[in-house]
Amino acid sequence: MLSDSEATELLSFLRRDMRADVKGQATEYILGLTGNREGCRYLRTKPDFLKALVTLTADPSIAIVKDCYHALVNLSADETLHKPLVKEAAILPTMFHNLLDPEYMFADRVSTILTNLSRHEATCREVFQALQEQEISLAKIVEIFCTEGFNKKASLHYLGPLLSNLTQLPEARQFILDKERCVIQRLLPYTQYEASVTRRGGVVGTLRNCCFDYAHHEWLLSDAVDILPFLLLPLAGPEELSEEENEGLPVDLQYLPEDKTREEDPDIRKMLIETLLLLTATKKGRQIMKEKNVYPIMREFHKWEKDLQVISACEKLVQVLIGDEPEPGMENLMEVNIPEGVEQKFKDLDAKEQEEIEKEKQELLKEEAEKHPNTVPEVLER
Amino acid sequence: MAQADDSDDGMDEFMEKFKTQKYKNAFTESNWEEEFDKVPMFMKSAPEQIDPVKHPELACIQSIIHDDDRPPEEQAKSLKDEGNEYFKEKNYKKAIVAYTAGLKKNCSDSDLNAILYTNRAATHFHLGNMRSALNDATAAKKLKPDHIKAIIRGAQCCMELRNYAVALQWCDEGLRILPTEKKLQELRATADKQKRAADRDARKAKAKEKKERNERAVLLAAIKERGIRLLKPEQPQRRGSDSEDDGADVSAAAMAELHLDGLSTQEATGAQVYLDEQGVLHWPVLFLYPEYRQTDFISAFCENSSFIDHLVVMFGEELPPWDTDRKYYPQNLQLFFEDHEKGHVYEVDLEKSLLSILQHPGCSVKAGTPSFIVLVKESPFCKQFLSGKKVQRLK
Repeated sequence: MLSDSEATELLSFLRRDMRADVKGQATEYILGLTGNREGCRYLRTKPDFLKALVTLTADPSIAIVKDCYHALVNLSADETLHKPLVKEAAILPTMFHNLLDPEYMFADRVSTILTNLSRHEATCREVFQALQEQEISLAKIVEIFCTEGFNKKASLHYLGPLLSNLTQLPEARQFILDKERCVIQRLLPYTQYEASVTRRGGVVGTLRNCCFDYAHHEWLLSDAVDILPFLLLPLAGPEELSEEENEGLPVDLQYLPEDKTREEDPDIRKMLIETLLLLTATKKGRQIMKEKNVYPIMREFHKWEKDLQVISACEKLVQVLIGDEPEPGMENLMEVNIPEGVEQKFKDLDAKEQEEIEKEKQELLKEEAEKHPNTVPEVLER
Repeated sequence: MAQADDSDDGMDEFMEKFKTQKYKNAFTESNWEEEFDKVPMFMKSAPEQIDPVKHPELACIQSIIHDDDRPPEEQAKSLKDEGNEYFKEKNYKKAIVAYTAGLKKNCSDSDLNAILYTNRAATHFHLGNMRSALNDATAAKKLKPDHIKAIIRGAQCCMELRNYAVALQWCDEGLRILPTEKKLQELRATADKQKRAADRDARKAKAKEKKERNERAVLLAAIKERGIRLLKPEQPQRRGSDSEDDGADVSAAAMAELHLDGLSTQEATGAQVYLDEQGVLHWPVLFLYPEYRQTDFISAFCENSSFIDHLVVMFGEELPPWDTDRKYYPQNLQLFFEDHEKGHVYEVDLEKSLLSILQHPGCSVKAGTPSFIVLVKESPFCKQFLSGKKVQRLK
């Protein structure tokens, strides 16, 4: 890496009042550093550089700002950089300020950085606290997210995953699940937002996190929120159901057109099913889901799904939907005390299931490779 | 002063006088209520129109309110208050007049104007003039974007107009300003529910239409496959597009489409040919008895049944009341169908199925209902009816 004197010199170039070409080259160099882990780790020890990057996001030259943001995105992806970025470089106030600006060209980059920073609980808490301190509130974030065309130059899709990350905190969930306001209701339609898988995934993740609080399940399933159709629509297909089955479904799922497509991302499909599974934790929840005729939708879905992980999740859900009610005392599946030995057994079974799924996957890949002996399997870069 | 003493004395005298003399122009038992009602201060309700001759005091007061030189803001405020009074009395028409007059003052107080618009919107709402109400709510909102009452009213109007998507927008706008406003939350939930129900209804209707179209296509294909000809009716006359006739034109075109495939029955029977689950057609069939100008209608004649099957049932046990000569026994009957274009008449073999008759090259089905003429063999009417026609007998 750089010697101390080199570092000092480089730092001096990273100032607003420097010549454009000098600034530009310096930021380019830093960007290069952030491209790999050693560079990132090095910069962790140099908070002044981080501070400089944040300051330079206000530079008049767009090319420089672009590089700064690119570097910050890379840095924020590394968890070890979170503390220095937030504490020493004080990145959050600047980011929030820019996020709220409807004219800000790099709002998408800002969202990505905030999403990265909120991934793990510790910094997530810092992000949430900073939101409160800046008097911005989650309400504003949701409002911006749900306002079509709030920023003409940025899509703000990454606010979805940001919300999802923030809802790992109970304080954030509390806000989203506030019965006195209309917050979660505004997010629901986005489970079907075709234009962006990021936005969709973020919203579904948010909903899934919120469903961990089973005290809210009855409210979520009631008309006040009516979460069920929004979870089922992405899983429902164009298959024609009988008139009898149709009439028993929630209104939004009745008489779906023949060109209806299902959610194309298997991870999102899995999250949707997990959310549905969470909602079956309480007796009331199970009752409502059985009444609302969820089963035929999952039946058709099961016939269509190819991804083994998702099929497995689907089968678990169907089991609960068509299975008997658990014995009294065990009705709340989340509160049941599983004796240690049994719990270990379940974990072992799960692990075995995973192994089998992996094995099947490998066999499928092998078959594919044998069919096309000349193609080299893709290695995905992390 | 000296007066004090005097008036004391004067008062006593005056009072004394009352005991003996009646006060001139006094109110009497019978008329005191009426008289009181004429005094503006004691009026229970104001007359609709103020006649300056009958109620000079009222007319005075009114002119003070209306023809004045006060600044427009004050005048507008008075008019607003006046409107509110009328509104409370449910005199909506007058309320609108008052509010409108207030707005016409064009005063510079935009808060006041927003209130005038909002109140006029409420008045229109109660009169059922949803569009006017919505316009006023919109105007109020434009003047004062955070005027919650205007936003609530706007949302309510959209709901009444069944424009649920726009109602939702109004609600969301309001909730942005006042997130905990209960009425808006309720409105929003209702609008959302109605919208989704309306969406479902549209989908259901579309599915039904598609099903009907498919069934129709299958039916037409079955008919065509059998080689049965459906007579297409003439195209309806195209009328000139007068705005009056436009509606009629549209429905005429729709009816024409229905008729074009030749399946709609003009008869008020409502019956139509259908294909059953075994793939067998059942036709509505008309039997005509020109001798007595009677008809019989079979709503579902199975294509595989023969005529004699039906005739035996229709004429086997009892003869119809109009058959005065008692001659319409099944074994005496002859059936014919007419090809109107060519003027040919073909005899029908009663043992044959309806299907094979319909497949006859000379047979075509008019208005979706095959019709057959029933005559008695050798009867004078039969001979008379068939004379002059080209008859194709059974071989």
